[in-house]
Amino acid sequence: MEIEGQATVKESHPPKFALPVDSEHKATEFRLFSVAAPHMRAFHLSWVSFFACFVSTFAAPPLLPIIRDNLNLTASDIGNAGIASVSGAVFARVAMGTACDLFGPRLASASLILLTAPAVYFTSIASSSTSFLLVRFFTGFSLSTFVSTQFWMSSMFSAPVVGTANGVAGGWGNLGGGATQLIMPLVFALIRDIGAIKFTAWRIAFFIPALFQTLSAFAVLIFGKDLPDGNFRRLQKAGDKTKDKFSNVFYHGITNYRGWILALSYGYCFGVELTIDNIVAEYFYDRFDLQLHTAGIIAASFGLANIVSRPGGGMISDAVAKRFGMRGRLWALWIVQTLGGVFCIILGRVGSLGPSIAVMIVFSLFCQAACGLTFGVVPFVSRRSLGLISGMTGGGGNVGAVLTQLIFFKGSKYSKETGIMLMGIMIIFCTLPICFIYFPQWGGMFCGPSSSKIATEEDYYLSEWNSEEKEKGLHLSSLKFAENSRRERGRKQDCETRPVDETPSTQV
Amino acid sequence: LLINFAVLKGGEDKITVTWGLNQTVAAGTDSTYKTIKVKLCYAPISQVDRGWRKTVDDLKKDRTCQHKIVARPYNPANNTAQSHEWTVERDVPTATYFIRAYAYDADEKEVAYGQTTDAGRTTNLFQVQAISGRHVTVDTCSICFSVFSVVSLFGFFYNEKRNAKRPQ
Repeated sequence: MEIEGQATVKESHPPKFALPVDSEHKATEFRLFSVAAPHMRAFHLSWVSFFACFVSTFAAPPLLPIIRDNLNLTASDIGNAGIASVSGAVFARVAMGTACDLFGPRLASASLILLTAPAVYFTSIASSSTSFLLVRFFTGFSLSTFVSTQFWMSSMFSAPVVGTANGVAGGWGNLGGGATQLIMPLVFALIRDIGAIKFTAWRIAFFIPALFQTLSAFAVLIFGKDLPDGNFRRLQKAGDKTKDKFSNVFYHGITNYRGWILALSYGYCFGVELTIDNIVAEYFYDRFDLQLHTAGIIAASFGLANIVSRPGGGMISDAVAKRFGMRGRLWALWIVQTLGGVFCIILGRVGSLGPSIAVMIVFSLFCQAACGLTFGVVPFVSRRSLGLISGMTGGGGNVGAVLTQLIFFKGSKYSKETGIMLMGIMIIFCTLPICFIYFPQWGGMFCGPSSSKIATEEDYYLSEWNSEEKEKGLHLSSLKFAENSRRERGRKQDCETRPVDETPSTQV
Repeated sequence: LLINFAVLKGGEDKITVTWGLNQTVAAGTDSTYKTIKVKLCYAPISQVDRGWRKTVDDLKKDRTCQHKIVARPYNPANNTAQSHEWTVERDVPTATYFIRAYAYDADEKEVAYGQTTDAGRTTNLFQVQAISGRHVTVDTCSICFSVFSVVSLFGFFYNEKRNAKRPQ
């Protein structure tokens, strides 16, 4: 299968950019309030469309009191639908990663969003527990736009800001899971007050997330660009793009053990976040005898913390990398995620409402920051198979959600508070493998960089290409990336090894 | 209390509920009764695996009877057969039910009740078939918008292919 690879732009027509860029034309600055094409525009398009997908996927939980009466659902039906809503994306995320490598994030994400929009529209027609489970299952596929978001940001933003860009885009997208808990009840109430009866009003309400999803996909297609220099297809036809083979991309992705470790650990920050999105409203409602809308507001605040927590994680990753390089990123990730596990254990043990809310918020900050920190590391694991690694990690997140819901929150084996405490213990254990991630050129948590001769950034990234491919020049963009990634040595190392020879940022 | 049998349709069928003080109790038992509230209650079979309909001894937490049929002030002088005809409302879910009448005192505390079924809530139950809430208009819109989403995607693909052939 022939696929598009990374772009190697001919320097004959250097385009002008609103932001300062590096040699790959990736922005070296992140300006939140700009919509300048192509970088910041891509950022806003990707987070808004991802937000829409989250709103759709978690649109049902806040309206369950109505839906469960209309469709005659049991608690098991509801639990199964919840698991279904996050399981679709397990493989869809891996597929999305590959699709980004093949077709570019713009087409890959817009296609998925438009193909899953029917599932959201059809929620309005659901009439049984089976149809309800099916629509939640297929709607959940849209959560794999997470991968295209991260891929897009990693293609548009350079090493110094890639963690921040990934963190803000991911976090503001995840916000949708919290916002929907507020939006859907409001829309429902509005429609009901206009005159619709309850069992019809909730059906009409689902058109809002469905339309939002459709329109955001259109915006991505019309206004977005895959790479700073243009779209995959056009660059490819003009000869500015190299082609890669799917089997190679796949091989180099799945044989990189770091991808697997990150997939596991992401299951215990993001996976835990998804689980909490599905169960926390009921937890507060049952344990503290709250009104449903009060429980909903508390549930929403968990997801809403994403507005700062995940971006915060990304920014911490970038800030730590400035001084300590990749080793700092790994340490920060391990510390923050382990602390998240600790607060999760505490949440399961706290028995009064006020402290419980406080602990939940602290827990959400650490849990979501860990998500941001994870994607400060992911862009560096592979250059050739960036999409696939992003997809594996993202997919691992959903596996974590499926597992934790199956083990701790299905049926009546554990009370919800015990389930939460045990989940916290599992978080701590599944975060330990991060200690084993090692980059020869930068080191790992406990070991410094290798002192052998074949341990530079170039060696690491070019090891993904064989000599035949190098002769054809397919590896050139990996080479550029390797140069730009030298920053991951951290300030101390960088000064020692390269006193004057710093890769300058290209300002056009 | 007397009611009709058969499956009742939400929004259409009617229930006639009749209630009154049990004439065998001592006189003066009903001196504290101020209001009678008649409610539609879930039978045990409809409470299975549905924690939001659980029966709990503490009446404040009890979720068995969620639908109010009627509330009437109680007059001890007229304590025999009262009745009310109620159309099953459109937000009543599909389930098996019985009916209960609660008597409240002046402080809104429950002081007595009667129900159409036995203590184990197994006899004399009836079923309600809820409306689906679906409308032809909503169904049509869903299908049309879905088709539109998919078709427009292929429209964009086609456009992309055409544009790629043009020079930059």
